[in-house]
Formats: sequence, C-alpha cells, structure tokens
Amino acid sequence: MAAPGGGTVADTAVRTAGARQRSPLPRPGTGTLVRATVIVALLLFTLFALPQLMSLYYVDSMTQAAIWAMAALGLGVLVGRVGLVSLGQVAVLAIGAWVAARLLFATTQPYPLVLLEAGLITMLLGTLIGLPALRLRGLYLALITLMLAGAITVVLATANFPNGGHGFLGYNGALINIPPIRRPSMASSDPAYFRYAVVVAALMFLLVFAHIRTRPGRAWAAVRQSESAALAAGINTWLYKLWAFALASFITGVAGGVLAGADHYLYSLDFPTYYSIMLLAVVLMGGAYSLWGAVIAGLLWALLPSILQDWGVSADWLTILFGIGVLQVLTTAPRGLADQVPKDLARLGRLLRGLVRKRAPSESGEVTAR
Amino acid sequence: MPSWQDFEPFIVSGLALGGVYALSGVGMVVLYQATGVVYLAFGAVGAMGALIAWSLINAGAPGWVGWLVCVAFGALLTLGYGMVFGPLLAKRDPLVKAVATLGLTLVLFGLMDLLWTTSGGQSRAITLPTDNGGFMISQIQVDWTQVISLVLGIAITVVTGVFLHYTKLGAAMRAMANDREITATLGVPVRRVEAAAWLGCGVLAGVAGILLADLVALDATTLTFLVISSLAAALIARLRSITITFLAAILIGLVHDLLTPIPSLTNYRDATPFVLAAIALLVLSRGGGRVLVRSREEA
Amino acid sequence: MSMREHIWSARAVVGLVAVIGMLAAAGCSSSSSTSSTPKSTSSGTPSTSAVSTSQCGTKPGVAATGTPIPLGAIATNQPGTSFTDIPNMAAAYFACVNANGGINGHPIKLYIETEQTNPAQIAADAKQLVQTDHVVGIVGNTSIIECSVDSSYWQKLGYYIIDSGIAPECYSTSNSAAVNMGPRYSSDGAVQYALAQHASKIVFDQSNVPGTGYIAAGPSALAANAHVPIVQLTENVPITDADSVAIKEVDDAGPNGAVVLNFTPPEALVILQAAQKLGLEDKVKLWGCSTPCNTDFLATSLGPKWNSKLFVNAELTPPDVTNTTTMKLYEAILKQYGSAVSGGIGSFSQMGFTEAEIMVHALESVTGAYTVASVNAAVKAVKDFNTGMLCQAWTYGSYPMHIPNNMDYTVTPDNGKMVTAQGCTLISAVDPQIKAYRDVAGTAAMAP
Repeated sequence: MAAPGGGTVADTAVRTAGARQRSPLPRPGTGTLVRATVIVALLLFTLFALPQLMSLYYVDSMTQAAIWAMAALGLGVLVGRVGLVSLGQVAVLAIGAWVAARLLFATTQPYPLVLLEAGLITMLLGTLIGLPALRLRGLYLALITLMLAGAITVVLATANFPNGGHGFLGYNGALINIPPIRRPSMASSDPAYFRYAVVVAALMFLLVFAHIRTRPGRAWAAVRQSESAALAAGINTWLYKLWAFALASFITGVAGGVLAGADHYLYSLDFPTYYSIMLLAVVLMGGAYSLWGAVIAGLLWALLPSILQDWGVSADWLTILFGIGVLQVLTTAPRGLADQVPKDLARLGRLLRGLVRKRAPSESGEVTAR
Repeated sequence: MPSWQDFEPFIVSGLALGGVYALSGVGMVVLYQATGVVYLAFGAVGAMGALIAWSLINAGAPGWVGWLVCVAFGALLTLGYGMVFGPLLAKRDPLVKAVATLGLTLVLFGLMDLLWTTSGGQSRAITLPTDNGGFMISQIQVDWTQVISLVLGIAITVVTGVFLHYTKLGAAMRAMANDREITATLGVPVRRVEAAAWLGCGVLAGVAGILLADLVALDATTLTFLVISSLAAALIARLRSITITFLAAILIGLVHDLLTPIPSLTNYRDATPFVLAAIALLVLSRGGGRVLVRSREEA
Repeated sequence: MSMREHIWSARAVVGLVAVIGMLAAAGCSSSSSTSSTPKSTSSGTPSTSAVSTSQCGTKPGVAATGTPIPLGAIATNQPGTSFTDIPNMAAAYFACVNANGGINGHPIKLYIETEQTNPAQIAADAKQLVQTDHVVGIVGNTSIIECSVDSSYWQKLGYYIIDSGIAPECYSTSNSAAVNMGPRYSSDGAVQYALAQHASKIVFDQSNVPGTGYIAAGPSALAANAHVPIVQLTENVPITDADSVAIKEVDDAGPNGAVVLNFTPPEALVILQAAQKLGLEDKVKLWGCSTPCNTDFLATSLGPKWNSKLFVNAELTPPDVTNTTTMKLYEAILKQYGSAVSGGIGSFSQMGFTEAEIMVHALESVTGAYTVASVNAAVKAVKDFNTGMLCQAWTYGSYPMHIPNNMDYTVTPDNGKMVTAQGCTLISAVDPQIKAYRDVAGTAAMAP
C-alpha cells in the first residue's frame, strides 16, 4: 500500500527496519536457529539432490537462476536497502563477465581467483562511476545509470567480448573456430558447474547478510528512512551509499564471472540495455528488501522462461507478466512477492478457517456465507 | 580527418535525426512538467499505435484513417493509464511513477511482439505522402516528412511553453506538478487538469509514433527503446525546460551524424545521446550543488 | 473510494487488461500472420494443381503409422529476428512424407526449439533435444550462434547436422553441413559480381552481429586479389539513422565504386530506401547485397529505380523463373502443409524444403533400426544428391569442414520481382576457406 506522506519504493519496510535496528542486536533465539536449519537443509538439497532430479535442460536453467539471483541480490542491496534505483546493472554484469573472460583466456589462474578479481575490478569501476553519480538523487540517479548502461552497451558492441584473441581486448573477429571460455577443472560438467554456481551464490548472500547485520546495514536503514536525519545523527551517508554501490558492483561482477563459465561464449547482444529494466522488474516482483526476494527474482528470470519454452508458450507472455508485476508491486505490494505470498497465503488460511467454522462468525465479525 | 565537404551532408541528416529525438523528448518533458511523471512508455505507445495503423492500412483502410486511429490509440491508452495509475501513485516519489511507466512499457513490448510476429524476411513499413518530394540542400535530398517532424518539434515547444505559462489550465498544470495536495485545496479541478495533461501527451505519443515509424523504422524494439535516446535530451534539460530539451535533441542528432565520417569514432557514435546526457548531468550539477528531485523525496 | 477499493480496482483493471490482451492476441495473431504473407506469387509457373504433393513420399496416400523417427531443430526467434520459417517448412515436408508412406512406414516427428540468442539457452535446448526428446538426427538448425555454442556437443555425441548456416562453425567444423552459403560466402558472391563489373572500389557494410571479422575476411581476400581497395564498415542494428549510413557508404565508394551490403532484409531495405530518398542510388556504379536481400518483398518495396542497379547474390534457385517438378512440389507442399510458414515463397522456406529433402533421402537409405548411429551415418554418406534447389549436387562427406553450396546465381530486381542477372557461378577460391574446402572435398565440390 502507498504509505502516507509519499516516499520511495520500499518505504513501509524502512520504518519497520528502522524501528528494529534501534534496539540492540537480538541474541540468536530458537526462531533464528530454525530458520538457519531450514536454509542449510534447502541448500544441501539444492546442491546434492536437485541435479539428480532434473534433466540437463533444467540444470542449465537453474545455473542461470543462481547467476541472476546474484545480480538481483546486488540490485536489491541498492534498491531495497539504500533506496537507490540503478537501471544499469546488466551493464555491470557484462563488465564482470568481460573481465573474467579476459583473465580466463589470458592466464591460467584458478577459477576462484579469477572470480575474485572480476568482482574487485568491477567494484572499482562501479565505485568510480558511483562517485560522481551519487551527487544525484532518486529519479536523476536512476536515469543517469540508464544512460551509462546505454553507453557501455555501445562500447561493448564494438569492443566485443574476449574470445581468445590477443591484445588488450582479446578479441579476434576472424576466428573460424572460437574457443570456449574454460570452467574450473573440478566443475566442468553441467551439474558440477551448477553446484559451483550455487556455492558462489550462497557466499554472496552470506556476504550481504553479514553487511545487513552489522554497521553498514544499520547505516543504510537510517539513510533509507531519512537521509537528513541520518546526516544529523552523524552518519557519513555519502560513504555508506558508496559502500552499497561497491558491494552491489562486487557481487554483480562475481556473477558476471560465473556467467562467463556457464555460457562458454559471450556476445554483446546478450546484454541489451533494456535487460536492466527487466532486471529491476523481477527484483521488485521478488521483493527488493528480502534476501529470499533475490532468489525469487533469479527463478523468475531464468527458470520461468525455460518452463514456458518447454510448454511451447511464447516468451512474450513473460515480458507482459513482468510489466504487470511491476505495476502491481508498485501500487499494492511494495515489498514484493517474498513478502506478499506469505501474506496472501495467510489471508487464504484465514478464509479457509472461516469456511471450516461454518456457523461461528468469521474473524472480521461478519457471518461467513455458506 | 575528413574535410568540411565530407561533413556537410551529415549536418543536414543530423538535423533531421535531431528532429526525431526532439519529438519524443519534448513530449516527455511536457508531461513531466504537468504531472511529475517521466512517461517512459512514450515510445512503446507510439510504436503500438503505428503497428495498429499499419494493420489497418494493410487491410485496405485509407492512410489518414490509420494515422487517426494511431493518435486516438495513443491518447486513449495514455489517458487510461494516467487516470488509473496517476491517483494511485500520486503521493509517491517521481522515481516510483517513472518505474511504473516502465511496467507499462514491458506490457506493451510483449504484446507487440505477440500480435505482430517477426517473420523471416518480412518487414513492415509506414509511408506518408510527404515522403515523396522535398528539396535539395548541399547535394542531399530532404523530404517533407523530415521537415514536418522538425517543424512539429518547434511548434510543440513553442505552443506548450505558451500554454503552460499564459493560460489558466497551463498554470494549474504547473501548480499540480509542484504539489498536488495544495493545488487541490485551492479549488483547482485536479483530476480534470491531470486528464487534460495525460490526453495531450498521449496525442503527442501517437503523432510521434507515426512520424518515427516513417522516419526510422516500423519495428517494435527500435521504436520502444528509441525513447532512451530521446530521454537523454530531456535529461540535459534536467526535465525542466522544453526549449532546452528541443535544442539538446538537435545537438545530439548533429553530433551523432557528424561523427559518422570520422573512422576512429564512427562505431561509437550510437553512444552520443548517453555520453552527452551523462556529461550534462554530472558536470553541470557540480556547480549548482546537489540536484534534488522535484517533489518531496524523504518522508 | 476507500484505499482498499482503490487497490482492488487497480488490480481489476490490470487483470482486465491482461485478459483483453490475451483475447486480442488469440484473435489478432492469426490475422496478422496472414496479412504479412507477401502478395507476390510466382506468375511464371503453371498452376500448382499440376503437381500432387503425394510425390513427396514413396507410398502416395498411405499414412505412416509406425514408431516415429524423432528429429530436432533449433532456430532463433526473438523480436526482430525469426528463422522459424526454415524448420517449419522442414516440418511441412515431413508432414507430407508422413501422409504418403513415411520412411518405410515410420512417420517423422520434428521437435523445434526456439532461442533468443542466449548461449546458455541454446546449450540447454540441445540437451533437451538429445536427452528428453531422444532425437536421432538434427535438421533445420538456423541460428546466429548455435553452431558456435553446440558444435563440440554434436561432435562428442556423433550428430551430423544439416543446417542453414550463419556462424563460422556451421562451415568450419566436421559435424555441420549447410544448404546455404552463409553470410561470408554469399557476400563473396556479391563482391565477386561487383568486381566482375569493374568497380574501382568496394565498400562492404555489414550488421554488427557476431562474426563480422570472419565474414569480412572473404571480401577482403577477393578485393586484394583484384587489386581493388576495399573499405570495411559495420553498423549497429537495428539502424536508427539510415540516412547517415547511406551517405557514408556512397561517399566512401565514389562514383565508380560499389556498395555491398550484408544485412537482414528489413535493415538492408531501410538503407536502400534511405539512399533512394536522398537521391544517392545513382551516385555509385552499382549496389550489391548478400542473399538475405533476395526476396520479392524487397523487390516490390524498392521500386523500379533499382532495376539493374542492385545485384543480389542468390544461394538458391530462384523460384520465379524455374519450372521444374521439384520447384512445383515445393510450392504445392508449402500451400498444403505450410500454414506455419509465414514468409511464403522465398529463400527461407526453400532452405527448409531442401534440408528436409536431404534428410528424407538419407533416412530412406537406412536399413534396420533408426538410431543416432545409423541415421547420422546415412546423413554423412549423402553424396552428389540433386536437390533441385541448388546450382550443384549436395554432398556431406567425412570432411573436417563443409561448404557444399559454393556456387550461386546473381539476381536483380525488375519492376517488383527478382530476375536472374547471372547464372550459376562458382565462388572464387581466392577466399582461403573455399580453397581449403575444395582441396579436401575434391571433385565433389565442383560438380554442377
């Protein structure tokens, strides 16, 4: 629901967050332990059981889901935690993929090192761009990220992605047999690479989780609630916003590295400018504020199209769904599916309970119709 | 380095291209001035209208019927969107309102590809009677459609400027864009004024759709996301001045085409709108302090 | 209205829009596909009722009822680029065969996967075909990058695919043989023709999609051999400023030069129309274009100013001027079974027909069970097969690379139709890849 007095995208969440953060960090109670166990169980299931249950077609799609969940995570940090909308995250992903591909062709470094370097270099570039851009606010910041993404897309279209050639760009346009980008030696098969991608994604989620639970998270929440109040409280808002930019760029850069190995071949037309708009759509639909939202966003981006393709449904329906999803989220459920689905389920549960108690009045006090 | 003679023809084509960008850029700023919404669906609405017009013309309808339907479609769809989502999002940040129009863009984009499927070697085209005939400037033929689009851009700029500053309805629109609540309490019929603004923008979107389909291409992807390049012109003007938007659009078109004969830069010329907008936003905002969003941003 | 009612009304509107959209899609999509069919029909050929489609199979009128032979195809289908006509036409041919005896009584089932130029998706599609659909052969692949992404997979599993090539690997690997010439060799043909008309300079402009360097290498070699300067250009597609593209090309070519284009039909059309609008079409000696321009649709849209001004390389026998049984059969099958082929008569459906022809020819030679091994051995063994759609007989063979179609026509628009300007001509062996293929394939590569 639209909060009274206006505000940015996930404003309702902010107030709750702010209230929660003002009290000291709670000690891990049974609730947290249960949740942690569930997450670990789910992770183990995904790593070991899921690849056996799915055909390679779906294993490949789930690998993409893990990658795009990371990209959604990065965008979620910006949008959900700090309230900055970036319409250029796919360009950042492309940069990460470019750096990783260049390193993988030019060196024989082990994969984790390449991913780390891709993440760090992308983080550096993201921070450099963030520095002047952060002088802008809200709408202008979003639009300038769109402009920068457009520029990067044009540059990539001419510079192309590395394909084993020489020189700084590492691109040889005349190749008649293009070599594939290598994968880690222990994870070259599709199911193995899927596990690799899930582990990397889990690490990224852990990284964000650690941020949220410590000082940056509290600072971001304060900035989201009211930047002037945060400034007055002595928080260096500019630094924390830049930190968010850096973190989002790092995660997206790493995701780009994983994408390079997953795809084996990279082309500039796989990163069109309007993908950044669609990424924002799935992040909003999944829920920018919650970490689960990023997982949902990844599944929406990568798994749903594969299922539709399998059923012979055109991918255009998905584009339409994303558009409707954006409108729905912005007008009614700012916290996205991750929050809305439990609420809808709860509402459904109440409805069912009301039906079961046939003659007793329902919770709202009205007599339930038979 | 190419000689002056090599550049000459590109000045003419650059002006024509600038006219193309100006149409959408001015249209978007007009609506922003009146409702605080950056209507990013401007291109998609025009594209769909143009495709509907194409379908009608292809089925045998006379040209002017098709164009009229396109404009009507643009007007009605935009008005519908504005009447439903305008009030729903009225109290939200301009960023939220802009992102919502992105939702509409995606819906239209998906619909267009579903309804007007891409098929093998076919392509669709809109032709206007003004395409034939024109005049020569420096060995380059300029056709009347290009002239019309440029003139239309100027006309819209002037008329809207006059309208917003010298009429009651225009003043009401400007007041509303500033603060809807207070304007309502002052007795201005807010919803009717809003409707007028949305309707006007929708008409512009339809007209731009037909002209761009003729000047550029009748292709859903191209026309939908051409708006991003036009947005660059609007951003250079900080979404504030329609005149500067128009001039910026002309500048972008000129620079883009003038880069064409320069071998080292020609492949990057498509980045012109984005680079110029980024420079304008980043460099120009430095002197004037932080750029704050128009309406209330913090709770 | 209360806030709650407001929200529900918004949801209702959005839902209503979605429902209306779906209904409109169901209603409109069928009509739009028929309206985009080209109005041109081959006026030169006699009525198609003279040829019965039952000629496609071995037992006319007998429907095949045995266990199906599963085959697969992967084609690009995204906004702006759609190659689905090719596998759809192959499916139409198979439907005809299935209705007239099948392959020894077995019907063919073609699984078509579409992709949006996403490498991961393309790799996944290949695995879907092999692991889930259990296809024993691949025919009809047409994709901007599929050959690059999947070639090692096909090699590992032993599939020898019949495709319409675009990416380099469609021609440079052992497991792919194309019925067309692809952008490089077709551009070679167009440039060759321009050089034969004594153009003093060549401007070669192509769309900036994967493989530009590979494609450019052919025309560069040809121009260098003829001691003619060549300017290599690329344009980002879709083109938004056709005027500046046309001006640049004409400026670079000069009055005695030739501009040769390698674009998809809509993009090429936009450039040529811009050139015409600007009055530039006569400012160069001639214009050339690779095969995608070879459509009657383009000829009609361009108008008479381009008669004998634009010369298009044609990889396949022009339907309008060919009266053979095979051509009539193609048109009959298209008419009876080809409802899913939106482009009608043209090179796309011709390619689909040819590929299906070859596959049926190969399948008919299989004795025993139809397995991956037996089917692909039969495909590899196809030799000197006269498809009736190409200048040469078609051979697969056990070669490290395949360019079985290396001889072409040149056509030119003539008042709305494409007519032959030059008959079957070999692509020059000055292109190193062509030379390499002719060296390994021997006489099989040259037989008319």
